[in-house]
Amino acid sequence: MASSSSFQQRPPPQTQTQTRDDSETDEEFITERTYYPAFMIPDLFTQLPPVRDALVTSTSRVQDETVDTCLPYLAGEDELFKYNLHGVPNLDREKHIRFLHASLGRLPGRFLAADASRPWFLYWALSALAIMGEDVSSYREAFVETARGMQNDTGGFGGGGKQTSHIATTYAIVLALALVGGEDAFEVIDRKSLWRWLCALKQPDGGFQVCLGGEEDIRGAYCTAVIIRLLNLPLDLTPASPAWAGDGSANLLSSVGDYVRRCQTFEGGISSQPNAEAHGAYAFCALGALSLLDDPRRTIPRYLDVPRLISWLSSRQYAPEAGFSGRTNKLVDGCYSHWVGGCFPLIEACLSPPGAPDQAAGHPASAGRVPPAPESLFSREGLIRYILCCCQDQSKRGGLRDKPGKMSDAYHSCYVLSGLSSAQHQWELAPSAAEDDSAAATVDPVWTVLPYLDDVQVFDQKDLVRPIHPVYAIPLQSQQAIQSYFLAKEGF
Amino acid sequence: MPPKSKAAPKPKGADSSKQPTLTPSTSNTTPAVPATVAARSQLRYDDSRPHDAARLKAGLTGLPRDEQAAWISARFARTPAARTRLPPKAQRELWRQVNEASLPVRALRGGTKGSSWGRDRNGLDVGGYSVERFDEREARRARLTCLEVASRGFRERRERERKGLRDPATGEAVFVSEGEVDAERVRRGEMADLRRELYGTVQGSFALDPEWDDVIPIPQDEPEAALAAIAYPADYDEAISYLRAVMLKKEYSQRCLRLTETIIEMNPAHYTVWLYRASNVFALKLPIADELEWLNQVAFANLKNYQIWHHRHLLVDNLYPALAEKPDELARFAAAERDFLTQILVQDTKNYHVWSYRSYLVGKLGVWGSPEELKSIEGLIDDDVRNNSAWSHRFFLVFSDPAHTTPGLVATEPDPAVPQDITSREVEYAKEKISLAPQNQSPWNYLKGVLVKGRQKLSSVEEFTGGFVKGLGNKDGSEDVQSTHALDLLAEIYAEKGDKEKADLCLRRLGEKWDRIRVGYWEWRRKCLEEA
Ligand SMILES: [Zn+2]
Repeated sequence: MASSSSFQQRPPPQTQTQTRDDSETDEEFITERTYYPAFMIPDLFTQLPPVRDALVTSTSRVQDETVDTCLPYLAGEDELFKYNLHGVPNLDREKHIRFLHASLGRLPGRFLAADASRPWFLYWALSALAIMGEDVSSYREAFVETARGMQNDTGGFGGGGKQTSHIATTYAIVLALALVGGEDAFEVIDRKSLWRWLCALKQPDGGFQVCLGGEEDIRGAYCTAVIIRLLNLPLDLTPASPAWAGDGSANLLSSVGDYVRRCQTFEGGISSQPNAEAHGAYAFCALGALSLLDDPRRTIPRYLDVPRLISWLSSRQYAPEAGFSGRTNKLVDGCYSHWVGGCFPLIEACLSPPGAPDQAAGHPASAGRVPPAPESLFSREGLIRYILCCCQDQSKRGGLRDKPGKMSDAYHSCYVLSGLSSAQHQWELAPSAAEDDSAAATVDPVWTVLPYLDDVQVFDQKDLVRPIHPVYAIPLQSQQAIQSYFLAKEGF
Repeated sequence: MPPKSKAAPKPKGADSSKQPTLTPSTSNTTPAVPATVAARSQLRYDDSRPHDAARLKAGLTGLPRDEQAAWISARFARTPAARTRLPPKAQRELWRQVNEASLPVRALRGGTKGSSWGRDRNGLDVGGYSVERFDEREARRARLTCLEVASRGFRERRERERKGLRDPATGEAVFVSEGEVDAERVRRGEMADLRRELYGTVQGSFALDPEWDDVIPIPQDEPEAALAAIAYPADYDEAISYLRAVMLKKEYSQRCLRLTETIIEMNPAHYTVWLYRASNVFALKLPIADELEWLNQVAFANLKNYQIWHHRHLLVDNLYPALAEKPDELARFAAAERDFLTQILVQDTKNYHVWSYRSYLVGKLGVWGSPEELKSIEGLIDDDVRNNSAWSHRFFLVFSDPAHTTPGLVATEPDPAVPQDITSREVEYAKEKISLAPQNQSPWNYLKGVLVKGRQKLSSVEEFTGGFVKGLGNKDGSEDVQSTHALDLLAEIYAEKGDKEKADLCLRRLGEKWDRIRVGYWEWRRKCLEEA
């Protein structure tokens, strides 16, 4: 690969520290230094990109600042870190785990702004712990109690006790219940009232309101699809649903694909709702939702212009930072390691050949063959470098973050680690048995996973984290356990 | 009745050393002025029990005989039950002694050790107060009691008024006047101050407000073990417990509106309170303009907040039917909103929620074709040509305008209805902006979007695009690329023209040199080319 062909010869930090203020002896030092092993960091990650504009605007100013901030971390110059030969620090599991356990404890009053999104905080912390291999079932009892207090008789879970049910907090609770696992956890959910409530959120255009009277956006589509599939909810609509067609032709997931399609922008990315700007978080929601309607090899090309989407997704990775940004001309941010990084397994699967249905049925704009990628569609090495070098809080605090200079938090810990997981693994879809929509629609396609092996592995083996399901965003075993529990259940 | 002690003769003799000592010989000297109220009480206690302290120290037999006698007499004197058991003679003797020695016939009970004076707001023992300070505290306590009595009276009258009961004294119907309510409010304020000063207890402002007397707050009932429970500040805790109560009974009123404002100030991310606020505004048929005015201030104070924009969306939905009938008003409203959005975007030029609202607004009011809207966007692009949100909005303005587009088409689809001159205008606009900073991806994405939408060949911009790439593939170092996006588009242009070789060269050079981070993507594009 071109990116690994030229290396920056850089001394390990200790020798560099000794000579930092000693510029006169540079030449001598360099000859001497050849005895020290050099970090193998491709100059792609240590130098400014070859094409740059002179014009300064506020966008270029903050971009330049971000590069300046990240470079020392990427170049192995941060003294708080210990680097391996690739110039990559280890994942400081112990600190991150401590940080996340603490975030599940009692929170001080300054967390007030989180009062309407506590389910999210719980999911983020539990998920981040699970990705690092921690057993979170010890939280089962406490979580069951917590979740119960947030459920409404009218269906769904609110952001806290006696708050209006919201699709995002319900999604977070369901995933967190799957993470802590066990019948006690699964049985917390009142599936019947949940189903009724989802029907009330369903809109005639295929989308979903996020809560009764709330906004309609693509998060609603993704979260609902996940909830329906994990809990094996019926797709039938109640007559009270705004999308009720009278003749039974519409169901909970009908026209979701059309709604998603209307969210693709001229840039190729996906916006929160039709006519807005393409944004990484919504790209993941779009692909996730499509992947749950049917086999993603069918649904993604059917509803989206795949080449333009891939172009936009790929443009999200910048050099030298190597992380992903969420939008064109915005800055890299660790959480897009998941939102954008997490799109690639789904996209790569829809390009993959085994058993792939005929692409001709796809979107008109992507008609014709869209071949599988000969190598990873994004720089996994780059993303792993950005995550391990720039997104770890090296202080006593621990946790993962947006970028150097930002505070770590549960949200970034979850999605940075999730991105790390998807960069470290290779997902494949089993050859699909059913070629027609009707049969496949009720069966989840089978995903299999292996560690990704094609590239130079820049991280140490002990820093390999657990694979998480590319659609459900929880470990495979957790997804299978909750899904089979409800598949075995008859009625509500 | 025993003779009054004040009638007793004074102890005889002035020389205390000779005089049969009836003041305890072993007692400590007591300070003339007690330093604290606790010390004063101790003094009083000791005075009422002569020889007690000495006896406790030395034992009864350790006292001089006369003191022993005095102590015994004192005990009998203040214990009527014991006294009656004495034979009459002994009783007479007792009273003689009592009189002579001026022994107190009553004693303070219980002793002062461990007596609870209570703690003040700082956790200090009130017993440690100086006498003056203690008296001052007592005066406040008395004041508080008076106020509490008056407040209880007010509540009773309120209750009578509510139930339609008559005043028991006058027999007339009870009517609580505004003045009374105001007085009660002042009274409760004073009570709260006193409680805080005396006991350090802080009372919520809702409990203090007579307006909320009829609402029984529903407190947060989180289980003990709850994860990530937030330690609520007291004022927030109180406010949301009132919110739960009024939401439960579906009350829509001015006071509920104020309650939502209070909570929004403390936690603008609380979506439930926003939805409830909207219900209040609509149920009370409040002027939408007033609500928008209020919302503007909140928006400036909370730039990153999301709920504000959905609330605005709901307000506009509600207002729209009235506007739709009056084009002038609609135009005025659109202009006012544009001014407001312009001000907000100065603070945060790429705010996603603001831009989403803006596109909703354009669609709702149907002002795609507004020259002011387009000009406003151009202003933002002039300020920062890399503002992708502004570019996205421009695409929506131009290519979703029902005046010259096919309804129902999505952004990525070619539209035969788009007039050539509009496509050309937009192509020229994008080219002009690309020239300012060729590595800026926003206008390149725009350019390609316009060409596809307007069904133009990509090769129509070949010359322009080629201008940013020199000597491609030259190995003598003369290869120069001013824009990787130009190189990307050139690859597509060559592919469109069927020149696979040149297209492949563009993609290869992108992966090898000009945009190495995306090498995996460029390799896939080469594969696509190969198989096309
Ligand atoms: Zn982030």
